Amino acid sequence: MRLTLQMLISHGRVARKMGLGPESRLNMLRNILTGLVKHERIETTLGRADEVRFYAEKLIDYAKKGDTDTKAMKMANFWLTEKDLIPKLFKVLAPRFEAQPKGYTRMARIPNRENLDKAAMAVLEYKGNPFPPLQPAKRENELTLINQLLKGYREEQAQQAKTQKD
Amino acid sequence: IDTIRGGGKLNKKRFASSPAVVRPSSGGVHGQRSAVFSREQARQRALYPRTEKIEVVLHGPGLHGTLLIMNKGVSTPHSCARHLTEWHVKSSALALVDGEPWPLHKPLIQSCSLSLLSFKDKDPSLVNQAYWRSCAALLGQVLEDAFKDEYSVELLGIPELPVTSGAFCCDFVLDPQLDSWNPSEESMCSLIRGAQQLIHQDLPWESLEVTPSVALEVFSHSRCKQEEVEEKAAKSNNGTVVLYRCGDHVLLSGGPLVARTGLCSQYEVTAIHRLGEGAWGLHRRAQGLSLPFQLEAHHTVWRKLRSRATKLVSEDFYWLHFKFLKGQCVESCIQILTPLFSCLSSPTKKRLGYY
Repeated sequence: MRLTLQMLISHGRVARKMGLGPESRLNMLRNILTGLVKHERIETTLGRADEVRFYAEKLIDYAKKGDTDTKAMKMANFWLTEKDLIPKLFKVLAPRFEAQPKGYTRMARIPNRENLDKAAMAVLEYKGNPFPPLQPAKRENELTLINQLLKGYREEQAQQAKTQKD
Repeated sequence: IDTIRGGGKLNKKRFASSPAVVRPSSGGVHGQRSAVFSREQARQRALYPRTEKIEVVLHGPGLHGTLLIMNKGVSTPHSCARHLTEWHVKSSALALVDGEPWPLHKPLIQSCSLSLLSFKDKDPSLVNQAYWRSCAALLGQVLEDAFKDEYSVELLGIPELPVTSGAFCCDFVLDPQLDSWNPSEESMCSLIRGAQQLIHQDLPWESLEVTPSVALEVFSHSRCKQEEVEEKAAKSNNGTVVLYRCGDHVLLSGGPLVARTGLCSQYEVTAIHRLGEGAWGLHRRAQGLSLPFQLEAHHTVWRKLRSRATKLVSEDFYWLHFKFLKGQCVESCIQILTPLFSCLSSPTKKRLGYY
């Protein structure tokens, strides 16, 4: 084909290239996704975690259709290389996310890999996993002076509202 | 305004010319109390003529098991903090020596374990209570200094209130000539200015454990303070009374005070209420609100807290509230007590022994 300058410049191109080609990319994503379903929290490079995220959420959407659905079973069969994770997907992960319409995964960046490549790393997890939280929720100390004063203020307001109601 | 002056105490003892009042001026009284305090402090320091060493084990975040070799009878938790970092010196308000709350400028007398407490700890309840007491003590000091020499001011005491009550208070009695006096906006402003001056001077609160006889000598001019000394001596474990000095004023307190006045940042005197006639005259209650420098409030929040602090706080309601909070009968308590409180105020206050 004609070797144009546009071929070398990738401005605006959103599709990522991974591995040796498109087939290699899908195989890599399959492996990472199987690892995610198996362990529920994995650590990979930033780009791979971002790619897998879309497929992980789509897989859960298919799993929600139930294991009697042929399309869902075909998808699960294709994407999960370890076949004993298919029951785990349908029986554990799909019921966990019944109430949520989307947003089943969480990604958090971690310090770069120590090797020569210094690759940007990320942790990808399914929400509701049994491990301790990645970023524990910062709760303000209730017992500091200003919080105690505000607590007294709120109680008095509540009490006044109550007496006004009666 | 002519009853309040901005500052400048007289240190000489001066007797008023009118025959009704035969007592030295307030400046002279404070000077004399301070002199007795200094004398007792020097005497207690002289009990350790040779420098003996004690081992202090520090506990705290990042400090577990640090051993410091300090001097007996001379080193204070403040000097231990100075061995660490400037942040430790600035932020520590109170110390915990062998589990007991210890004022930061009180000398250590034996090998012990020490932890420095600040306002941002996991459980700052001890520090909060000490801060509330110190702010009330500061309020008392400001009131003593605010009036002219010819008008007497008697501080009656600092009621122990929990922090959730919204304001600290100090009971006092003014000269009978000022019975009809009511504080105006400008008087409150000048009181606040006096407090801010003391805070700016960053005076430390020095503590001293003395026998009741020395305490009675310190407060020889004030009968109600002497009664308070006797009460405290009766209540304490070993019969001693703890005196605190800030600048020139010596005072009593129900518990440990924080390290220095510079720890407060936002400080306002919110109201002065009349409590009615009592044993010493017309009892008044001055209330204030304050926050330390690490926990400053936004002006919107401060305004709301301040408007709450102008209402009269009382010990009965809040003490029972505080007590029942642990038994979780708060709701029923509030419902029962609020209508009764207004009827039962004076007899229940007499029961507390302040009048």
